[in-house]
Parts: sequence; structure tokens; C-alpha cells
Amino acid sequence: MSLATGPIELPDYLPEHLGGVAEPSPPDEVRVRLTPLAFGRACQMLHRAGARFVTLLSAQLPEPAIVGVFAIRGDLVVLRAPNDGPEPPAYTALGPWWPAARWAEQELADRHGVRPIGLVELPSLTRPDADALDQSVDGVDVFSIPYGPVRSGVFEAIQFLIQTGGEDVSRIHTRPFFKHRGLEQRFAGLPPAHAVHVAERIAGISGVAYALAFSQAVERALGVTAPVRAECWRAVHAELERLANHLDVIAKLAETTALSVGQARFQILKEQVMRLRAQLTGSRFGRGVIVPGGVRLDGRISPGSLLNAVDELERDLTRDRRLFLGTASMTDRLIGTGRLPRALVEEYSAVGPLARGSGLSTDARHERPYGDYRRLGLQVVTHREQDAMARVLVRFGELSESLRILRQSIDHLRRSDVELLAPLPAHGNGCGFGWAEAAQGELVVWVELRGGQLRGVHVASPSLRNWALFERAFPKDVLTDLAFIEHSFGLTPAGADR
Amino acid sequence: MLAWIARGLATGRITTRYPRGAEPPPSGYQGPIAVLDSERADPALAQLCPTGAIRVDVRGGLSLDRGSCIQCGECVRTAPARFAFARRYETAARTRASLVVGNVDHHDERPARRALAEQARSLGRSIHIRHIDTGSDGAEEWEIQALWNPHYDIQRLGFFLTAAPRHADVLLVTGGVTDPMRMPLRRTWAVMPEPKALVAVGTDACSGGLAAGNGLVAGGVDAVVPVDVYVPGSPPAPIALLHGLLLAVGRLTEEVEA
Repeated sequence: MSLATGPIELPDYLPEHLGGVAEPSPPDEVRVRLTPLAFGRACQMLHRAGARFVTLLSAQLPEPAIVGVFAIRGDLVVLRAPNDGPEPPAYTALGPWWPAARWAEQELADRHGVRPIGLVELPSLTRPDADALDQSVDGVDVFSIPYGPVRSGVFEAIQFLIQTGGEDVSRIHTRPFFKHRGLEQRFAGLPPAHAVHVAERIAGISGVAYALAFSQAVERALGVTAPVRAECWRAVHAELERLANHLDVIAKLAETTALSVGQARFQILKEQVMRLRAQLTGSRFGRGVIVPGGVRLDGRISPGSLLNAVDELERDLTRDRRLFLGTASMTDRLIGTGRLPRALVEEYSAVGPLARGSGLSTDARHERPYGDYRRLGLQVVTHREQDAMARVLVRFGELSESLRILRQSIDHLRRSDVELLAPLPAHGNGCGFGWAEAAQGELVVWVELRGGQLRGVHVASPSLRNWALFERAFPKDVLTDLAFIEHSFGLTPAGADR
Repeated sequence: MLAWIARGLATGRITTRYPRGAEPPPSGYQGPIAVLDSERADPALAQLCPTGAIRVDVRGGLSLDRGSCIQCGECVRTAPARFAFARRYETAARTRASLVVGNVDHHDERPARRALAEQARSLGRSIHIRHIDTGSDGAEEWEIQALWNPHYDIQRLGFFLTAAPRHADVLLVTGGVTDPMRMPLRRTWAVMPEPKALVAVGTDACSGGLAAGNGLVAGGVDAVVPVDVYVPGSPPAPIALLHGLLLAVGRLTEEVEA
């Protein structure tokens, strides 16, 4: 990893440059209060400076405001434009010139009635109608296929409206929110220890990352630090979850190529990980362990047996990876498929293995390290090829890296004190951000607490942010590539829709 | 390709013998909750549950509805004398009432089970399954997919996945049914040929789970289409699902139940 070289410059995202007032900021954050007019300008400056769009939200604490969140060079820049009296501030819409912000802005309009100047309204983003199909197509002999929300096979609900002449995909329109369950509102009134059950069930396959980001948000809001041993356990559970997710993606790609033997091998590996998690936590999905303040459970198996399990996994993975990468019928289908140029990925502010497969070294564990990752020295795996194969190679690299840092975490665990849980103040007030790198990418959670209970929660899920890029993932690809490209994205509609 | 085959042969058999042999969960498994002591309970026990699955009646009779339970374990941690994680996977039931355990009148669902088995007789030993997601958290899909992995290999029991509802005998539904998924669910069910069975997979599908009553989900599949088998769990483990599927096609023998 090399950092930018050249003359040392003052960061161009300091509050004075952005035209706002600096606010007290916790570590890794730059908080700025602005007028609605300055808000739009500051967003443009951040865009020019190469910031990544994270989310837009309507906050109630410390006062009603529109909050824009951006990531740049190891900081989370938080722009806050307070309301004009009872009305949300009239800032200039970001969506028309920054595609990454389009869905977030539309969601804010649909769910909170925030209408910025120049908002381009998309029809019913958060209330999709499976029967509302394309009214026109681009060109002669082009037709529109609605694929989903009922999928073939066992997949989550999402809809793609695909315009095609039979092979070439001329346009694809992704429609999320078929699974919108209103879980962000479900947090209201719950104490943090109960609210974490909701967080875990926003995206079941990344429940550990959701519990972790949520817990860290609560801890930052209330000024609590989790004990070292809890941080080690959190890293162990998070990396086991990443293993399961990446193995799942690889197994599904093998299934799509009809390479049944490869599919079976990677399913076996995934099931090994799921069973290890069940032995360790009592839950195949690692649920019920991570809570605000620390973890609730010292592993049910000893660090020694955990290490043995990691060794066994690595042995099997090494053999199966060699077979997978040596099977030309498999790799040929992925090389050159679904190419996403680096500039496009940056423009859409994509995250996770998707962004890393196009050469971006973005990873929340590395950009703003948290918990045990501050001590683990993570190597971010990137690839420059920008295609589905690159995204698979990134995942293979991350599988090895996860196993390596699992060993390190287990070692830290052995040398840490026995304390697992720091008490939370009984009637704590506060608000703050927390984040975690889920298997799908960077997850950011905003929490507001009053009198020891959750008031508002906002989730910026990697799945929603990355799915916006799907419409651009078919530059030269045909209809039959859809499954490969979708699996190489490795996203979950449950997380996107919440 | 030969290398793949050699690797497979070296691994040997890893498939479970279930349902012919028992398959208990690992120790400490956080699965279904059992009520240990259901008499003279404190009404405050009902407050322990984030989804309201715990009831205490006027005489202090304690019961827990597994169809609403998200298996978070708050009750087990706070009142270990009353509640415990049951060390078994099998929880599927023919009727919603049978999911309630503890101090309740015993509900005899054997007649309903026999009727279901009778209906499934003509399907024989080859069952085609269709899945629809109506608002799950995504974990249920993983556990259904796991049924086709070498550890569970559900095809050995004659279950196959089909992409067309018109070819399907069993519909697996995950999720508490969000508004945009109501109509797709009704249509999928309507075009399936008789005889057919519908399995609600997971606590969300049984009752809506955490999202129940918020106006965005119907609060369980049976609010939209009739359910034949309920498989509670958050999510139900593969063996729990397999048990539910066997119940849906009338192949649950007495030994498996015991």
C-alpha cells in the first residue's frame, strides 16, 4: 500500500474551505455546520476533491437537520444543514450531477418529504410496483423483460427491467425496495441491548457487520469503549462472516457456470464455516453475541480448537482455489465480463469487493480502522482488471487475508483480559456514527439516543449503494451474463431495502 | 475435471443420514425456546420479549409462541428457570396454534396432518419446490440453498427445485409479506397446480417477526394465502427446514417425530 506522494497539502475539506463552521468531532470525523446554500456548494467541492458519497439523512439530534455524509482520505466528513423552522432546508439537489446520490436523495423525498431544489423524481423508488413496466424502449426490435421480483431459484426479491434485442442489453433498470420492512423505525423506543436484534436482522447474511456498526455507533454516541477482548471477538466473528459470504459468492458463480463439482466444494467450505460459527456462538449466523458495550459471550470453543478449525479451512481452501482457478470453463466465463472502469466506480461511490476489483483500495477496516483492526495491519486486496474475474480474485485474496487476521485476532484474544462488556450509561443521550466493513462493503449507521433509548436510526447499506452501479455493468455483455454479473456483485436486497 | 473428482472421492461421504438417523444441534445451540416451568408466572415476564411472543394468562399460566419468537434469547438470559433453548431442530407444525408451547391446551393436529399426507400421496416420491421471497432478511434463503449442498443433499429424498410455479408442488415462502410482494405471492400460489402445499419458512413468514404490526408488512404469509406448514426460526436451520418439508409432503414418520 502506498499513500499519495508529493507536497504535503492541507486537506481541502476543512470546514473553512467548505464555507461552514467546525463542530466538535469524534476521531475519524470532520463535522461541519452549514447554511442550506453552502451545503450544495460544499458537496460539489467534496465531489471535486474525490470524496466518496456515503449517504444523506434526516437527523433529529442534536437539532432537526439534513446531514450529508462523505468519505475522504481516512475521514468521514459530515455536513449538517439545520432546518429552517419546521421545514427541511432547501438545498440544491445532488442527484442531477452525482449519480451516487440519486437513490439516497429520492429515498429522503419519499420517506421524509425532503424536496431539494432541482430534485429529479424517479417514480416510486421505495414503493415499487411489480407491474409498472417500461413504457417505451430504446430502438427498433428492442423489448423489455421484467426479471423479478419473483426470481428463478432461491434468491431474494429484486426486479430488473431489462431492455434487449435478444442478446445485447441496451438498458437495465434496477428496482430495489420490494423488501422494505421499515426496520429503521423499529428501533424507536428500544434500549440498545434489545435494538441490536433489529440491526442483526436488517441483512441476515451480514448480521455481524450490522450488529458491529450499530454497536460502535451507540458506543461513540455515549462515549463508551468496548474492552479489548470484546474487540478481538468482534473481529473473529466479522471475519468468519466474511468467509461465509465470499465462499457463497464463489459457489454461486460455479453454479451459474454449471460447474457442479466446484459448486459442491465451495458449498462444503461455506457449511464448514457456518457450523464453526454455530459451535462458537450457538448461532449459524453469529447472532446474539455482539452488543453495544462489547460482546455477550466468550466463545463456546477454546481459542486452540478455533485455530485448528482455521488451519483446516485454509488447507481445504488452498486445494479448492487451485482447482477453481485452473478450470478454464469457469474462468473464461468471468474474464472480461461486466467490466466496470475505475472512474465509473468512483463516480457511483461504490464500495467493497466491487470497488476493489476495479482498483480502488477502499475498505473501512483500513480507512478508518476500528476495534481490533487498529492492531491487525490489514492488507487491502485490489485488482486492476475491473471485470467479474477481478471481483472473484479480490474475494479469493480476502479469504486468505481473513484467515491470516483471524489467527492474529485469536492470538490477541489469548493475551487479553477477561472483561467482555463495558456498562452503558442507564439514561444516556447522544448521537453518532458507527461503521464496519461488511462482506458487501462499507456499512455506516447513524444512531440517536435519548434517555437510554433509541430514537432514530439511519443505515447506509453497501448493497443499496453498489446496486446503483448495476445499470452500468453491461457495457459489452449479453443477457446470459446477467447471473454472472449479479453474483459477482455479491449484494443482498434485504440490506438495501431495510 | 479429474482433479475435482479425485478431490471429491478423497472427502468421502459427508451427507447427513437425516431423517433416517437423528441429527442433534451442537451444544449451546440457540434454536427454539422451551418453557421449563409454566405455572404461577409473573405477568412481567411478558415484557422480556421484543416481539411479544411471551404470554402470561390471568391464572399465571406461561406460554411462548414460537411463530413470533426471533430466538434472541432475552428470556433465557433473564429468566433461566422459566425458559431454555431446546436442543432440537424440529419445530415445524401443521397449524399456527401448535407453535405455542407452555401452558396451553394441547392442540391435536394429527387429523390435519393426515389430511395433508392424503393430499400429497399422488405426488409420489418426486417433489418440485418453488421459492418466493416476500421480505425476508436474507438468512432464510441461505438456509434453503444449503439444503442442496453435499451436507444435506435434499435431492437424495426426491426434492428438486423448479423455476416455474406451474411445475411446482411445494411453495416455500420467506418473509412477512411486504406490500409490493402481496400480489406476486397471490399469483405464484394461484398458478400452481393441485395438489400443492405452502410452507412458511422462518419466523417472519409465520408472523411478521420484528416488523409485525408496522403497517408495511402483512404480518405473516397466512394473512395473504393459506399456509399448510409453519417452520418457525430466525432463520430455521437446514434440518428444521427438511423436517418441515417432510411434514408438508406427508413423509414424516413416527420415528422422526420421536
